[in-house]
Amino acid sequence: MDRFDRRTFIKGTGIAGLVGLAGCTGGPTGGGDNESGGGEETTTAGGDTTSESGGNETGNESADGGSSGGSGSDVNVGVVYATGGLGDGSFNDQAQQGIQQAESEYGISYNEAQPDEVSQFKNFQQQFASSTDPNYDLVSCIGFLQADALSEVAPQYPDQSFQIVDSVVEADNVASYVFKEHEGSFLAGQMAGMLTTSSFSAGAGSTNEEKVVGFVGGVEGELIGKFEAGYKAGVKNVSEDIQVQSTYVGSFNEPSGGKEAALSMYNAGADIVYHAAGNTGTGVFQAAQEQGAYAIGVDRDQSVTKSSYQNVILASMVKRVDTAVFNAAEAVVQGNFEGGSVTTLGLEQNGVALVYGQGLKSDIPSDVKSEVESVRESIISGDISVPSDPSNV
Amino acid sequence: MSSDDTPNTETDAADSDGREPGTNTGQSDAPAAIERLVRASAVERALISVSALLLSVAVGFVLILAAGRMTTCSTAATTYFGVGFCYDPVTVYDLLFLGAFGDLSSDLINGQLATTLSQTTVLMFTGVAVAVAFRAGIFNIGTQGQLVVGALGSAVATLWASTLVSGVVGTLLLLPFGLAVGAFVGGVYGAIPGALKAYADANEVITTIMLNFVATAVALYLVQDHFQDPESVATQTVPLPEYATFPSVIFRARDDFSLVAFVVAAALLVAVYLLIERTSFGYDLRTSGIQPEAAEYGGVDAARTVVASMTLSGALAGMGGAVYVLMIIGNFQTGVPAYGFDGITVSILAGNNPLGVGFAALLFGVLKSGSIVVDVGTDVPPQLVGVLRGLIILFVAMPEFFRMIGTRVWSVRPSGSGGQPVTDGGTVADSRGDVEDDVDAESGVPTEGGERDE
Repeated sequence: MDRFDRRTFIKGTGIAGLVGLAGCTGGPTGGGDNESGGGEETTTAGGDTTSESGGNETGNESADGGSSGGSGSDVNVGVVYATGGLGDGSFNDQAQQGIQQAESEYGISYNEAQPDEVSQFKNFQQQFASSTDPNYDLVSCIGFLQADALSEVAPQYPDQSFQIVDSVVEADNVASYVFKEHEGSFLAGQMAGMLTTSSFSAGAGSTNEEKVVGFVGGVEGELIGKFEAGYKAGVKNVSEDIQVQSTYVGSFNEPSGGKEAALSMYNAGADIVYHAAGNTGTGVFQAAQEQGAYAIGVDRDQSVTKSSYQNVILASMVKRVDTAVFNAAEAVVQGNFEGGSVTTLGLEQNGVALVYGQGLKSDIPSDVKSEVESVRESIISGDISVPSDPSNV
Repeated sequence: MSSDDTPNTETDAADSDGREPGTNTGQSDAPAAIERLVRASAVERALISVSALLLSVAVGFVLILAAGRMTTCSTAATTYFGVGFCYDPVTVYDLLFLGAFGDLSSDLINGQLATTLSQTTVLMFTGVAVAVAFRAGIFNIGTQGQLVVGALGSAVATLWASTLVSGVVGTLLLLPFGLAVGAFVGGVYGAIPGALKAYADANEVITTIMLNFVATAVALYLVQDHFQDPESVATQTVPLPEYATFPSVIFRARDDFSLVAFVVAAALLVAVYLLIERTSFGYDLRTSGIQPEAAEYGGVDAARTVVASMTLSGALAGMGGAVYVLMIIGNFQTGVPAYGFDGITVSILAGNNPLGVGFAALLFGVLKSGSIVVDVGTDVPPQLVGVLRGLIILFVAMPEFFRMIGTRVWSVRPSGSGGQPVTDGGTVADSRGDVEDDVDAESGVPTEGGERDE
């Protein structure tokens, strides 16, 4: 009995497995006909004939859209994501978007790695830096947590170009990209200030009589301070009378804390709360829905990534990580990569922006939108200077 | 991959384990397969482990191929029977196992080997911590929490002390100090669930799990509000000066590995082994683990033993945390890797034998470090690599796990022993010792490379 059962089982599994395998629709799009996966046939097709099959077979994710054929297709970029990996609906996914844009525009190749611990950053960075097959022209490090590791690794590989996003590493071969979060937050404040002083009702909320708005931060510090400073300054730009309530939850991953903080603000008369608190901000959205008020998202267009709160998200202050990644890759392709430089991406470079929520953007009055736009231009032209420290507001 | 006949041994054992729980052969109630497994000789057990490893590779092989058909790519990584696959299993396993050792031929002290060994070092501490508790019959799931508080305590105390001394003298004084603080803090933190179990009859599985959360949250609070590095946006303490961390003997400083720490860990394994097997405290501990009633009847203070073994276990985990801080990361940073939880598996893999922990930790270190190489070197998603790692560990650990269940639940005795429970402390002591030796000798898992021995 026993043996018979086992044989049947094995046979069954085998057959099921084979059928399953055969049924899989994926696999190499080049089909099974090109046997040698590592062939060196660099088909310099004009990009039109067979854009799917073939491509350049240098081993890694090869370029699929041969649009701008030739120009920089030999550039190889290694991407080390922040902990949390791809699929976070935020930072890493956006970085990937940037490198994919570079892939389709310049035909670069890239290889990505997703560390899950801070202590692994160094190892990943070194792996890319020391790799000779392929040789990486740029190693892109996403997230400020990589700064410590990179400041040790970069000097060991003087000939390797590195990029760090959201932090500054002082080394001759590292290009640092940081954002002017305060500029984007200023626009958020401008919008919030204008709406709270007018009578506005759309989606699941409405503004009230009181001239109060709120800000919920994640962990207090220099970085989130920039959000708060810009936001406060933006609100004050509308009217000095508007009160800005501000609090820090102490964590980027505590929705219940965010909800509590936001609820107390809504109860105190606030009708719009801006959060710079990562996942904690989800609680702010929940509170807004419960109280019939509004919230402003951060980092990405949260009316898309948190679509169930679409009816209370007026706008999101997005941080274009993809722009940073794309710019660095572009610089390498064009041969003007500048190690040791610090690029600050503000409103002017489209590094930060205020994006109206998908659900409410058509309801926001056009005078608010046009005023926000003109403030944006004033900031770019330098007519308005935005503080980056909340104590200077 | 010509593993046609080898895995059969394992298939036999594993299959009949699962399916025939009723077949009894003799004196015990255990299923025949379990009884057979427990009575397996050392050579048989080694063979079982090797075939389990091969079988896991075979299963993983199919998984990689299947996953390679489910995704899309522009070029085939490999081709079998005219069908192209996106991922090449041979490359994946080559990188997973051999990649972890780096390119030994060109550089004997390469960074990847260093990473492997540094992971191994920390896992040796957590593995042996779990083993000690398990041998005393206590399931310490709180190793992670003990590691975290040990790491934080060590980072903060060493930072404070590093202002008092410096230079070579500083290193000589600060390292033992940092380790001692880690051990102390971890030990105290381990003693809490120990005391709760001994005096309040609280289930240690529950309390230790809960204390893990407490540890992480308290550490977060302490770092944020009291020890935060003002220079950094990350939630971390001020980095320790160079002289307060483990010196990188032979290996390069940037690789975050120190042979000194490795030797300390290895020596500790031997010390714990001797403590458990050769001292009266160890005897108390073991008997309490096997049969608490008999131990107490024989004059063992059960409550004291529980607290003592949990303290020891916590201290070992805390030292692991200290090594993580002093060797790998150089300060305390939130988001401590799950060394403590891995330690549980390491210990089970090693059959709770402190010496076996060394080999099991090495296997774990290889897999952890190899995963990085696979991630960088191929397009295989890290999640799939995680599955492969899990498969290997599951397959290798299961035979040992069933053995453990066999000895505990059905009281099956390994071959060559009488099988009566201890009822009078003294006289059976010797044969007891032998039994334990039989169980644990040779429980080392086969490890690729296997180039070290305690």
